[in-house]
Amino acid sequence: MNPRVEGQQTAATPAVNSGARVISVGGGKGGVGKSFMVANLATCLARAGYRVIVVDCDLEGANLHTVVGAHAPVSSLADFVAQRVDDLGKLVFDTPIEGLQLIAGTHANLSDAQPTHLRRVRLMRALRRLQADFVILDLGAGVHSAVLDYFLVADDGLVVCSPEPTSVENAYTFLRAAFYRRMRLAMVGHGVRKLVTTAMDQRNEHGLRTPLDLLREIEAIDSADGARFVQTMREFRPRVVINNVRTAEDIKLGFAVCSVCRKYFGIDAEYLGYVNQDDDVRLSVASRKPLVEYRPKSDASIYLQRIARKLAGGRPSSFQAAAPNRVASPSGAPTPAAGSPTA
Amino acid sequence: MKPLDEQDHYEVLEVTPGAAFEDIERAYRLTRAAYTDGSMALYSIFNRDDAAVIRSRIDEAYRVLTDPQDRARYDAEAGIADRHAEAATPTATRPIDAFPLEVDCEESEARTLPAELPSAIEVIDDPDADIDEETSDFDGAALRRARLRRGVELDQISDVTKVSVKYLRCIEEEDFERLPASVYVRGFVTAYARAIGLDARRVSTSYMERVEAAREQPQRRLRSSSR
Repeated sequence: MNPRVEGQQTAATPAVNSGARVISVGGGKGGVGKSFMVANLATCLARAGYRVIVVDCDLEGANLHTVVGAHAPVSSLADFVAQRVDDLGKLVFDTPIEGLQLIAGTHANLSDAQPTHLRRVRLMRALRRLQADFVILDLGAGVHSAVLDYFLVADDGLVVCSPEPTSVENAYTFLRAAFYRRMRLAMVGHGVRKLVTTAMDQRNEHGLRTPLDLLREIEAIDSADGARFVQTMREFRPRVVINNVRTAEDIKLGFAVCSVCRKYFGIDAEYLGYVNQDDDVRLSVASRKPLVEYRPKSDASIYLQRIARKLAGGRPSSFQAAAPNRVASPSGAPTPAAGSPTA
Repeated sequence: MKPLDEQDHYEVLEVTPGAAFEDIERAYRLTRAAYTDGSMALYSIFNRDDAAVIRSRIDEAYRVLTDPQDRARYDAEAGIADRHAEAATPTATRPIDAFPLEVDCEESEARTLPAELPSAIEVIDDPDADIDEETSDFDGAALRRARLRRGVELDQISDVTKVSVKYLRCIEEEDFERLPASVYVRGFVTAYARAIGLDARRVSTSYMERVEAAREQPQRRLRSSSR
């Protein structure tokens, strides 16, 4: 099986590229540190020798380029979405950080609407074909279906949340929307799909209060869709990051959120880690450098590095893979997300 | 995934059927905290009545599973004894992976904790953090990271060690000027390390080197400038 080889790429690397691992970073609320998380985790991974591309999917408030210290982009993701550019690889720009590249978000072209579902499918395929080990998507705030789709097709979906009731509430709203969207796309029967749509409204007249109520109802209609529902539940594993923690109590919030996800949605959310509140974050943004570059020894940087290492898992970096006695492990090859929306 | 009323005690506490007593203790504290009235994690998902039901299930599960006789009887009735054996064999896939607890450190890492601080070590599964604690020179920030990882607040350490929160904070922030003479600081740091289950000797040696170095420097500068 030969990996896809892009024509204009150098011949040095394609052999190790078994498809980029796509990580999306969302969380519903604006200002919880999604772009901060993306820029810093990407920098950590790039420094560890991985080829990383960050993609600004925040089509309404794109500014990831500023956070990673790149210049304002001349072209952006919007050009691909609007089909002005066919090759996503042409929109990749270098950043001041070695190994880290960027696809910028829309800039000043407000006439571009959110992409349609079909165009998003095209985009997702192109993202996976990028010459990189990791492609990290910075999602916008809110629960627009475009945001949810980017979240759902990724290999890893990170939900960033800070220890404030509003942020937690938004994280749940986001998870609930993503959950139901994923479930609806996984269902086959027309009646069952409609039922999922009904359940998305929390005050529906069917009395479907929780995902488990919904499951019972689906099982009564169609046992095959019921089994699919359970299977999809199992595959849906968002990973929770708590940002801006100040106390040990704040850190425990991550456990609690994951427990609530288990008990309410029946999904196995994972507590990936936490990052403490740090005043230097503001300074790092002002200096247009990720914190892990600006203050690599700070607690926040150490926590970010831990999260990055967990994300990398056993995935071989380009450096490691290039070493003669290291072979890309088969487990590192991502299977295109089993439940990717194909409706 | 089953609805709450069909879950067994292990599923309610989110532990594996083979869970050791300490794992059950820890899981109980974490879940109980998650569903207390006013918990931020509940907000907008579970209402008060839901939370009360979950709490009573958690309490019941904890009561049964921490009593050896009740637990054995419960396991036998629910046919969990077999699953128990399964979970004990290393190759078995665990039915539910509960909190990312430290799974494989039952004896190897017998941390000794003072009896007064039983709630410590609610760490998140983080091999990196272990490395941090094993290899790093212990500066104030490393101490703070180790403390937070165990879910311990400064006032809890103060309760146990009788060292004021003010001094504990100075230790973490390395505000050496506001700390008393070195001999006291050594005592404080030792007590702090012991309270959260770190190797007190290693920590105090490492930390005191930093204190001494910092305290010598300004004097030297003074001397040289007076010349």
